[in-house]
Formats: sequence, structure tokens, C-alpha cells
Amino acid sequence: MSVMNRLRIFATLLIAVSILTWVPRMALAHGSVTPDADLCVIQIGYFKAHFKVYLPETHHHEDFCEDLPGIGNSVFVMEYEHDGLAQTPIDFRIIENITGQGRFTNLGHIEEIENLDKITVFHHAAAIQADVFTVGHNFDRPGEFVGIVSVTRPDGDGLYTAVFPFEAGYTGFGYWPWIIAGLLLLQLNFLWMSGRLDALRNASMTTSVIVLLCTASTFAQGADEPDISISREGHFQVSYTSEVQPPVINRIHNWVLYIVDANGEPVSGASISVRGGMPVHDHGLPTAPRVTSEPEPGTYLLEGVRFHMRGQWEIEITIDAGGNRDVVIIPLNL
Amino acid sequence: MIRLLRNLLVLLLIGIGSYFAWIYRPLTPEPWSNDDIVTLQSLWIDSLPTPPADPSNTVADDPDAAIMGNRLFFDTRLSADGNVSCATCHQPDLGFTDGLQKGRGIGESKRNTRSMVGVAYSPWLYWDGRRDSLWSQALSPLEDPNEHGSDRMQIVRLVTTEAAYRDMYRSLFGQPPDFTDSARFPVAATPVDDPALASAWAAMSAADRQTVNTVYANIGKTIAAFERTVLPPTTRFDAYVSAVVHDDKDQQGALFSKDEILGLQLFIGEARCTECHNGPLFTNHEFHNTGVLTVPGQLPDRGRIDGVREVLGNEFNCRGEYSDDADRRCAELTYVRTGPELLGAMRTPSLRNTSRTGPYMHKGQIATLAEVLRHYNRAPDAMIGHNEAEPLGLTGPQLKRLEAFLQTLATPSAR
Repeated sequence: MSVMNRLRIFATLLIAVSILTWVPRMALAHGSVTPDADLCVIQIGYFKAHFKVYLPETHHHEDFCEDLPGIGNSVFVMEYEHDGLAQTPIDFRIIENITGQGRFTNLGHIEEIENLDKITVFHHAAAIQADVFTVGHNFDRPGEFVGIVSVTRPDGDGLYTAVFPFEAGYTGFGYWPWIIAGLLLLQLNFLWMSGRLDALRNASMTTSVIVLLCTASTFAQGADEPDISISREGHFQVSYTSEVQPPVINRIHNWVLYIVDANGEPVSGASISVRGGMPVHDHGLPTAPRVTSEPEPGTYLLEGVRFHMRGQWEIEITIDAGGNRDVVIIPLNL
Repeated sequence: MIRLLRNLLVLLLIGIGSYFAWIYRPLTPEPWSNDDIVTLQSLWIDSLPTPPADPSNTVADDPDAAIMGNRLFFDTRLSADGNVSCATCHQPDLGFTDGLQKGRGIGESKRNTRSMVGVAYSPWLYWDGRRDSLWSQALSPLEDPNEHGSDRMQIVRLVTTEAAYRDMYRSLFGQPPDFTDSARFPVAATPVDDPALASAWAAMSAADRQTVNTVYANIGKTIAAFERTVLPPTTRFDAYVSAVVHDDKDQQGALFSKDEILGLQLFIGEARCTECHNGPLFTNHEFHNTGVLTVPGQLPDRGRIDGVREVLGNEFNCRGEYSDDADRRCAELTYVRTGPELLGAMRTPSLRNTSRTGPYMHKGQIATLAEVLRHYNRAPDAMIGHNEAEPLGLTGPQLKRLEAFLQTLATPSAR
């Protein structure tokens, strides 16, 4: 009996500790940086970017939303949500937080500081970084800092500035994750003792059935691709021949497209754009093929086709002719 | 109560024991299906065609050009300090790479040295594909301050004055120009990197710069002709495929252990390696972001997204005036793909001889094949861009088998 009671007390303690440990983590975001679902977002004026910080030396692929659990080499990454940021000079500065406001530091407090350069530990002068913004700084000691990101307003009238206070070398967690993991194991044991084992066994039975069903379904085969593909709204029918037969991977080559309308008449003078990819792998073609000529009415030369892996591909052809715009999907199994 | 606890502990131990017994259980490989054999043949060295033609280089397949290129490849005079040749980083004894994290010439280069074996088959060069031909690639390290540290004036002067090179050059390209007039042709000049050399270059007349560039490009074209002859040898894997194709069971058993066969089955199946490492060179020559961690203290490498911009603007590309491609079709360059999915993407390396060409990845970040396999098994989120790979969920023994299979792609020793 006394064992049972002790375990109960232990479990209660465990839950209390878990809550206490998670609360500060939720409160980490502040200033212009806020967590959005599982991503961290920085708001600079009306510009938005995904924001994350890495400590590759000590924390490898783990990313952080501002507060850093360690010091050393860091990488700050902003992935633009607006194309505008890719064309705008971005100034990035890290200063020591001398405001005394801690995590409530805001732009007003920063503007009151007389000599920003004196307390600046890192400064990336305004520059355009296409595609993604990355800067690195080596934190040589723990402390409280403020990040200041400024971008020129598109109307050229001043700056948008985002401010985010953060700590580096934040040790609030320490060994807690490990201790919690250990306690969780104990709690699991406790659950087993209280007769939940049957539920677990049932769950594993269900899993086996699902696995069996999935295995069976993989034997289902996809149908062969049709020779003629009909556009979504039925305006066009497209067939093709490939310069390379049978189709192979890793070789750039041309296709000839034959396009007819719903009555089987060749469609000439069409404006055609082509894209494609592997739906299962969520990536596009390795090249950007284009229709370059129409040697005969309704016959089009498509240049620059290449595939870089075997599997199910789709070529999506958008045809604009005779006032109709329609899309044809050509499936392809390599 | 104590008894219940003890029983539970026993149950837990039995559970853990059975889990490990299950994942470490001895397996017998399934026989190869017809589909498998087709896949194996696609990876076989016998399926490797002759290298694709390079219309931008008229001497690409000229044996005399290859002889000249061979000599240049090993010539340390093509460097600032007289100690660096192409072979400093592309060492034949080390599979035409250097065993270092990053190449080391005059200084340290930006990325890991890729093996040069079978390079004639790739439409793109470098990790980020910033060159589109072997000859334009060969010109770039010569002028890189951290690699050969030389300059284009020094290179063309050496080749047009040294007797042996001069004769070879003449028989391939005709009478070489005379660069002795120091008023027109400075001692050192190049448009890249060094401001002093760049202003010397800018001071030359447009016609003289074009003359220098033409000779410089021709030098690259002979090096390319040599590099095209560096082809992968037959490996134990190829012998095994041959035995499978001829249905020679004894030979198959003699060539491959059970673990190697199981590793190969994972390679073409569950581990999804052939999605990128396909064809007889085990590469699709394409660009993929696989979420490799940056080197601490360095910013993440943007890879292909910058490589595309550079190759499109390079004066020695397939559409440039020094290309021999008369109709300038240049399909790969003309239909090149751009876009955000190229952020952080790097060119798939060949896996032939991979067990002897570490360290791995574009900065040599990963030291061993075992770690590379663990990386792909985890497939962590990329620091920049999007990791195309997905977690594989393979067990420790499965990764060991994959590694055992990869060893069979090693180039056999000379003896």
C-alpha cells in the first residue's frame, strides 16, 4: 500500500514539474518574433519571414526561436514570406541588452540608447540577400541581447524595424529534459501497474492489422498510361512521341506534341507552357522545357525534357488556343 | 505488490530482448525478381555508354589533345608558387580526390574536392553546377587565389612559349599568338578576384583580351579531353551483377556475402537510394537539398541557386563566344531550371569508389559512410531551403548492410 501511495505522490510531482518546465518555454517568444504553429515568425513592418536560430556546434539540426540554450557559433536564418524582402537591403544588428527591460524590451527602449555602436556585438550592414537571409555570430559569453532588424520601406520613407530581446547561454532547461524522460518512464510503469496493459495490447493488435492491410494494398498496380491524354475541360487531346525510346533517365531530349481539338482537328498557333514533376516526391522537373516551334499545324517541338529518377512523373501542359485555355496531364511511368 | 513489480520488470526485459533479437535476426536474401534484375542492370558498368559528345569542345575526343591535357593536369607550373597542379587535389591514387574536408592548393578552397572519375557524363560541374563544361571548369581553379593562384596571362604565356606545349598547341589549334609584347600583354592579368590583376586586364585592348581568352579556353579544352578519359573501372559489384544476369548462383555466392546482398536490396528498395544515385555512375547529376548541417562558424551554403546565376553569366559557358558549339543549342543551359527549390541544393555525387573518397558532403562535414547513412536515415530539416529526403526508419543492422554493399563499389587495388 505504502508503495502505491508513494508512487501516486511521485506522479503528482512529475506532472507539476512538467508544467513548470513547459511554461517558460511557451513564454520564450517576445518582441517582434512570435511562434506561429510550429514555425517562428518575425514581423518587420508588414514584411514577414520565418525566423530560426541554429547552434550547429552544440545543438546540430535543432532550431531555436530566439532564446539560445548555449553560446558559440550561431546562424540566424530568415526565410522570406514576401518576395519584397529578397529585393530590400536588410540591416541586422545584435546589441547587449542594457535597457534593464529584459524580455519586455521594445523599439522605444532601443531608440533611447545614445550610442548603439558601443554596445553592438554584431552588425551586418544593410545588404540585399536574395532567396534567404543568413548571418552568423559567435557568442563568446552568455548574456542578454537584443536583435534589431531594419529594412528600408518600399516607399523609401524611413525604415521598418523589428526588435527581439533574447538570451544566449540560457540554462533554464539544463538536464531537465533527461530528468523528465526518466520520470516519464516511471510514470509509464505506474500506468502499467494500474491495469492499462490490456489497452496497449489491443493497440498493438490494431497496428498489426493496419500494417497487413497496407502491405496488401502495395500489390495493387497502377494502370498503364494512355496514348492520348484529354484536357481537363475536354477542349484538347494531346499525344506525344519522345526522341528517346524507351524513355530513359538522366538524358536531355526533345518531345513532339500532337494537339487536336475535340473534333480531332489539329490545333495550330497554340500558346503552350509546360511544367511537371513527381507528385509523390513533391518536386518538379530538373529542367525547364519549352515549346520552340510548330513544324506542322498541331505538331509542336518540345525541347529540354529530362527526368532524373525512375518512378511516376506527370507532365502538365497548359494550352491556350482559339479562346480556350485548358490543361492536359500526361502521366509517365519510368 | 513487489511481486507484480518484479513480474513487470521481467516482462520488460523479455520485450527488450525480443526487440533486439528481431532486428538482429539472421536473414536470408530473397531471390532477385525480374524487376530487380532490370534495376541491377541499370546500375551495371556494362550499361555505361561512351561519354556524351561535347559540341562546345571540338578537341574533346582528340587523343592528341588528351595527351597535352594530361601533361597540363600534372604540371605545377600552372600555379602562383610552382607547387600546385590539378593533381594536387585530384590525386589519381586517391580516386582523383584528396581525402581532405576541403581542397588545399595555395590556400583552402571553399568546398570538398569531388572525385573526377566519370566526370565526362555530367552536364554540370562543381557541387553547385556553376560551370557547364569540363573545359570551362578546368579554367576556374587556375585563377582561384586559394587553388592555383595563377592568372590567365601567366598560363597562356607558359603554353605558348614552352617548346613542347607550343608544338602540341600548334598541331591542335594552329599557330599560337605572340604574347611577348609587354606593352600590350602585361606580366600578369585576369578579370577575376584580384583588383590589381583586374585593372591590368581592363587596360588591355578588347581584341587582345579576346586573343588571350581564346588561347586560355583552348588550354581548358585539352585538359577536358584528358579528363574525359578518366573512367570508372569494373568493381566487385559489377562482377556480381554479371553473375546475376548470367544466373550463375555459385559465382554470386563467391562474390557477395549475405549482408552485401541484403544491403543491395535495401539500396534499390526500402532505403530509396536509387532515387538520386541511379544509373551506372550511381548519380542523376541533379541538384538536391539533403539538409546537411553547415560547418560551425560558416553560413549555410546556398548551392545551386547561386550556381545557376553564375553559370548563366559565365563568359566561358556553352553559349559564350569561346564555345565551339556552332548552333549554340546548349540544351542543358537553355532549358536550365531555376527557382526556390534549388536553395541549398548540391549535385549528387557518384557512389562508385565512395568508401575510399571520404570525407563526404560539400564541405567534407561528414567523416564516415556510417555517419552519412545515419544522416539520411534521420533526414533532419534543412537549415535553409527544404530537405528533399524523408526519414527512412532503418535499423542499425540495416544501415550496416547498406554500408557493406557500398564497399563493393570500391575501385579494386592495382595489385
